[in-house]
This record gives sequence, C-alpha cells and structure tokens, in this order.
Amino acid sequence: MSADVSDLSLVRRVQRGDKGAFDALVLKYQHKVVKLVMRYVRNPAEAEDIAQEAFIKAYRALPQFRGDSAFYTWLYRIAINTAKNAVVSRDRSPIDFDLDLQNSDESYEMQGRLADKETPEALTLTDEIRTTVNEAIEALPEDLRMAIVLREIEGLSYEEIAESMGCPVGTVRSRIFRAREAIDRRLREVFEGGLGRAEELG
Amino acid sequence: MNEELDSQLSAMFDDELPEDQCLLLARRLSRDDALKARWRRYAVMGAAIRVERQGAGMLAVRLDTNLAARVSAVISAEPALAADAVAQGGVSKVAGMRWWQPIAGGAIAAGVAALSVLWIRAQAPIGGETLVADNAAPSAISQTVADNSAPESYVVPAAVERTPMMPSAELANYVVAHSEFSAPVNRRNMLSALVASEPLAEDEPSESEGVAPAANVVEDPRPNVEKAK
Repeated sequence: MSADVSDLSLVRRVQRGDKGAFDALVLKYQHKVVKLVMRYVRNPAEAEDIAQEAFIKAYRALPQFRGDSAFYTWLYRIAINTAKNAVVSRDRSPIDFDLDLQNSDESYEMQGRLADKETPEALTLTDEIRTTVNEAIEALPEDLRMAIVLREIEGLSYEEIAESMGCPVGTVRSRIFRAREAIDRRLREVFEGGLGRAEELG
Repeated sequence: MNEELDSQLSAMFDDELPEDQCLLLARRLSRDDALKARWRRYAVMGAAIRVERQGAGMLAVRLDTNLAARVSAVISAEPALAADAVAQGGVSKVAGMRWWQPIAGGAIAAGVAALSVLWIRAQAPIGGETLVADNAAPSAISQTVADNSAPESYVVPAAVERTPMMPSAELANYVVAHSEFSAPVNRRNMLSALVASEPLAEDEPSESEGVAPAANVVEDPRPNVEKAK
C-alpha cells in the first residue's frame, strides 16, 4: 500500500476546494503539531496559536503541495518554521525538553506560567480524557490492547504488527478497529456528556 | 453507524486503507459530521495513549483543544482553494512570462545590433578600402624629370592629392577620451588606428613604393640640384 494515501486523498479534495477535507487533516494532526510547537514556546495556549497559524499557512500553501513528500512531513516543516519565527519575533528562548527541569527553579516557574494559561475546565477535561482512555485500554483484551498500543505508541504498520503478533493483516485491522470502538464508547461520553461540552467539530 | 464504514475509517486513519476506498471515504468524511467527530476522537485517543505511555513533556497538550474549530473558522472566511489555484496559475503564468522577457529583450537588442553591423559592412567598400570620395587621380600628373646634364632619370612621385579618411574632430576626441579609460593595449590599438588613418609620415615606407602603379615615369624638366651637388 502506498504511503500517505489517506492524507493525500484528503489533500486532493482540499486542493479542489473542499474545505471540509482540511478539517479532517487538522483534526488528525492538531495534537502532534501542538506538541511539536511546544518545543519552541513556553505554554500550550501560545503553542495552539502558533499551530493555528501553521495550519492556516499550510492551507494557503496547499496549491503548491505536489505530494512529493508525506503531508505530515510538509506540515511539520511549516510548523517548525512558524514556531521559530514566532520565537524570534517575540524574543523568547526555546525550551529544551531534553533538559531535566524537575529540580530546578525554572521548572516551577514555568509550571506556574502554564497553570496560569490553562483554564481549570480545560485541564480537568484533558485529565478526564486521559484517564478515560487509559482505563478503556486497560480494560481491553490483551490482543486488542497490544494491537492498538503497537500502532499508537510504536507507530508500526499493520503488516509489521501482523508479523509481530503472528496473525494476518486483516486481523490486525479488525483488532485495532475493535479497540478503538471500545475506547470510543467511553470517550464519547466524556465529549458529549461529562462537562456538558459539545464537540467542537462534528 | 455502519460498522464496515467505521472499520474503513479506522484503517484510513492509520493510512492502511486501499487508495480507491480512501478516495471515496475522504469525500464522505469531509461532509459527514458524525464521521468527522469519530475521526476526531480517534485522534484524541491516539494523543491520550501517547501522553499516558510516553510521560511528561506532553502533559500540557490539551486533548480537548478546539484548534480545529478555530482553523476552520478562519479558513471558512477565505475563498476555496480551487479558485486560489486558478489565481496561482495565473500568477505563475505571469511570472513565467516575466522571466523570459529580459532574455527576449536582450535577443532583440542583439539582433538589431547584428543587423546594424551587417548593414554598415554592406555599405563599406569591398577589400578594406578606405571611404574616400571618388576622386579620379589625374592620369598624367607624374612626370619623368630629365636632366640634361645627367642621363639618369628618376621618378617623381605622382603628385596625387591624397585624400585619406580623416576622422572628424568629434570622432577623434571621442577616441582619445575613450582611450583614457580603456585598457592600455586597446588604447594603443585605437590610437594606432587613429594615427593610421592620418596621412603617412614622410619617412614611412609606402606599400606602393617600388611599384608605383599610379606613377608614370616622366623626365623631370627641373635641374636636379640635389644630384648636381
């Protein structure tokens, strides 16, 4: 199977004027892009602003995207450049997450700033999502849990997972889908009920 | 919701769906809000799993971010890309025209220059003759001077009035002025050419010396004082 065919099919739709297809791309990569940008800026709110700018730049530049590289690779470069420019323009130093800040004063200072930027509701919902997903995974049968973990954590392809688990690719696809369905049943409750927040898109 | 459709969506999220099915599902995904909401939750659960398993450093990423809604709001206010693409194509066409315009201009200038050179050469006399007004040389100007006292005779150069091309004062001034700023070799050459276009000095040998085709041998009627000495 050709790589990036999923993203490319959405990209082609966007290039033909289907803005809804771009929503799907943003939804898929928003967390990765924010995480990436957070290597350069100090807080999640600012990282989201920069990520938003990066996505909009990507949208505007999509007519020039020819699919020579994977969409995420292309988006990754845009996000990095946007973050670097933001850091330069705001005269702020990048944060190196490789450093062990646990015992430094800087870490406490930074955590304080992060806490100021996050609303209690947002932090609570994020925590609730994380807890819900974790509990749902722990409740999965071993074969489903292994399949979804190998996919999401290790980033293995279905073929690689099939080889690792000693089963056909079709079985892997089915296991991953069933794992997602089980997690989704619980996650939907958080999004639709719980804090009473409607889904942003959908 | 159709389980097969959801299964395809899961495979598409992992980039594991065949291309033909991907194209169809992408179309539906962009329009079906329920499918898009499920797609979003797949992304959220993936991020949550990675946060949980990979630990600190990612904890600050908001899993319930409304980033997609914000991006969508901005993009919805913009024209669709299809129109943009046309505009981009137009821009690229204009840009494409711009890059060769200097080259075309240079080519036209070079062509005009080449035609000018050819035209000037066509106007010039063949054989490198100088541009001299058509002054017919008197045919019997030279005389053989005969000295009664001496049998020898010698040839008096034909008294042809030489009318070499004389550069105009403007041209001469130009060449001299130009030579001040040109390379020494070129300067010498240009000055040499300018000098060469002037009448030959008396002590310089003439190419026609000894042949004197235009000179007729005549006897000099005048007494040869020099020879008498």
